[in-house]
Amino acid sequence: MKLVKAAAAFLLLASPAFGQPNTSSQMGLPVEPNASPRSGAGLPEIQANPGGVAPFSASANPILHVPVSDLHPGNVALSAHIDNPLADDPQAVTRGMRDFNHFNCVGCHAPNGGGGMGPSLSDRRYIYGSSAPNLFLSIYQGRPNGMPAWGDVLPESTIWELVAYVQSLAEPAGKNFGRTISRAPPSPDIQQTPTEYVQTTHPWSFTEPFSNGQQPSGQ
Amino acid sequence: MRAGLICLALTILATASAHADDLQKLSQDPKQWVMAAHDYANTRFSPLDQINTSNVGKLQVAWMFSVGTRRGQEAAPLIVDDTMYVVSSYPNKVFALDPVSGDLKWTYIPYQDRAAQGVACCDVVTRGIAYDDGKIFLATLDNHIVALDAKTGREQWSTKTGDINLGETTTDAPLVVKGKVFVGISGGELGVRGRITVLDENSGKIDYVAYSTGPDKDVKIGPDFKPFYDFMKGQNLGETTWPPDAWKIGGGTVWGWFSYDPSLNLVYYGTANPGPWNANQRPGDNLWTSTVFARDPDSGEAHWAYQLNPHDLWDHDEIQENVLLDLDIGGKTRKVLVHPGRNGYMYVIDRQTGEVISADPYDTVNAYKGVDLKSGRIIPNKDLEPDLGRMVRDVCPASPGAKDWQPSAWSPRTKLLYVPHQHLCMNFKTSDVGYIAGTPYVGATVDMFAGPGGYRGEFMAWDPVQRKKVWSIKENMPVWSGALVTAGDVAFYGTMDRWFKAVDAKDGKVLWQFHTGSGIIAQPVTYQGADGVQYVAVLTGVGGWPGVVANAQVDPRVRNGALGFTGATQDLPTYTQGGGELLVFAIPKPAQAAGGQPAQPK
Repeated sequence: MKLVKAAAAFLLLASPAFGQPNTSSQMGLPVEPNASPRSGAGLPEIQANPGGVAPFSASANPILHVPVSDLHPGNVALSAHIDNPLADDPQAVTRGMRDFNHFNCVGCHAPNGGGGMGPSLSDRRYIYGSSAPNLFLSIYQGRPNGMPAWGDVLPESTIWELVAYVQSLAEPAGKNFGRTISRAPPSPDIQQTPTEYVQTTHPWSFTEPFSNGQQPSGQ
Repeated sequence: MRAGLICLALTILATASAHADDLQKLSQDPKQWVMAAHDYANTRFSPLDQINTSNVGKLQVAWMFSVGTRRGQEAAPLIVDDTMYVVSSYPNKVFALDPVSGDLKWTYIPYQDRAAQGVACCDVVTRGIAYDDGKIFLATLDNHIVALDAKTGREQWSTKTGDINLGETTTDAPLVVKGKVFVGISGGELGVRGRITVLDENSGKIDYVAYSTGPDKDVKIGPDFKPFYDFMKGQNLGETTWPPDAWKIGGGTVWGWFSYDPSLNLVYYGTANPGPWNANQRPGDNLWTSTVFARDPDSGEAHWAYQLNPHDLWDHDEIQENVLLDLDIGGKTRKVLVHPGRNGYMYVIDRQTGEVISADPYDTVNAYKGVDLKSGRIIPNKDLEPDLGRMVRDVCPASPGAKDWQPSAWSPRTKLLYVPHQHLCMNFKTSDVGYIAGTPYVGATVDMFAGPGGYRGEFMAWDPVQRKKVWSIKENMPVWSGALVTAGDVAFYGTMDRWFKAVDAKDGKVLWQFHTGSGIIAQPVTYQGADGVQYVAVLTGVGGWPGVVANAQVDPRVRNGALGFTGATQDLPTYTQGGGELLVFAIPKPAQAAGGQPAQPK
């Protein structure tokens, strides 16, 4: 109840400032790194706990600072620097691939993360964010359109292994903003060598010409 | 008191049979289309002939209606008492429309659990709704059966018949027989235990459940059960033909078609693949998966069964339609059901006994070497046995079979069955898989591709007496739409690459085609409006198992996606996107402007 009250008070105090133009970035210019402090965001002074002491402190839980949205009111981004704790473990990706099969992730997201029942993981498009903690939270909490919540089932270390593997499935960043689909000239013009031929933690390292629904070469 | 009871009992009996008669009678009115498959025999034949081979070329769009969802539309519209009823893919909105003007009468929006989308194996489709006695029956993806007042759209009752946390969804079109709503369950890729649930149409109370696996009492196998072949005779075979307890998570789901023979009082339907796909984990015949059942609709008791694919190796469900026909075979009129097998064989089965009269391949088959009519058993090709971890190359037909759910149509005029189907082969590799409730239980890596000749689908006319293909049209993509045939000797079907086609039912000549907004995987129907005009209606909106690569976030460059179907339809996004819309066609009256009409001030 206190939380609801606090939120309402926050909205009342803060709302006049929300319509103000943001001066720290402009459209049409390359994006500059921007560490906009709260004071520069046009937000009024806010009393932290107008109703008293909050029942828990979100700031004590860094993972709660991981945004799932790219919109930051007042242009103040939540800042969370959480790296995969297994980032330095070269075997984490391999264990993640094993977990991906053992826990039936492969059934929905498909071998190499091609997608099917669940969305693809192979093409750098992530509905709920691409950072390591974003992926961790998507697995831990589940997502409402059909991603199960694994937090009470899997050890955190296993989830981080899965995060490492999922990140290894993403195609390397290209220079294009979007993607062209056409029959002539053919686009896409390549496909991954299918997994019945090659099983690898880095599937974009093995490709062959796009086969338009015909038998793959498997080379 | 006793007389009163008897009287009451008689009334109940009379009411029950009146229901069956009513729907049976309604289905014989050529102006209407009162169940997805047109009639209890599942013929999808309309006696209307205003549109015929000489004028079908003049068909134009009369009106359109967007169903507001972009995933696959597989359903058939119903037309009852001058109202059209349409159901969308998830979230399964139901719309009532004027069949002539297209005016919207009412909309029903079920408040489904959206997590259901995560346990739907092959797009979030529905194959249709049912009608009886003033009510529309909806089966939602999240397993609610809902009765709506057909006039107002008001909810009458809803009953939950499955649990998404067990991987269960509902995608089939219910069928009402004798006042009972028959509905199946989907989830053969998630270790769901297959069954039918039968509900009272007035109260929504569950009358009985008949399982596809487990002990005889669960399968409703009792003294009435007389299978034709010896391998299906014995006690509790639904339990003993499995490793211990494997039948509890063994599939045999029901997501295709029900048909009904009022004279024999038998309901027919097929069951799906055993789970997991990795057959090494389930030695045995895995009864009663991949099986056709004949059941008494009143008691649910099985009268016979026929297992098409004992110990299925390839995900060859047998949920396809069973078309009930009386055919002259060998100088005798036989009461048969025709079942185009997913395994690639066209079965003609005596529907009184379950005896296979004939089983002939209608597409490329190398996974089997024929059907032994003496034992009733299909003969697997031992060279292609998928031992654990061994990649088997070029298996035909692929997992979706030579034909999947897409229903055929039968014309009593041409005596031909019009069969939409696919032409695909695959590479297949098994792996161990553990069961985790609510997650996929598959254990196979699949990669499908076009069969010999490079084409991927076919629309064919099959003569079940001569046991041969009479004509066929090869299609670039799998033909995933249903078929319709009329007394005008026109057959209709749609393609995934956005063509709606009318062909001459006698020789397969394409008479008319229309480029639609999205690909077609739904069931075309026809009806006569209150204005006396014959209309043809079909939902567009590509999807289904082969279509998620075009309507969802699925990567066309990863062939093993969508349980291996991505490989076969990876170029579909170069032809179409998703997007659900109903199209209604008619031949314009001579004075009418093409493709529309002058606005009339009201």
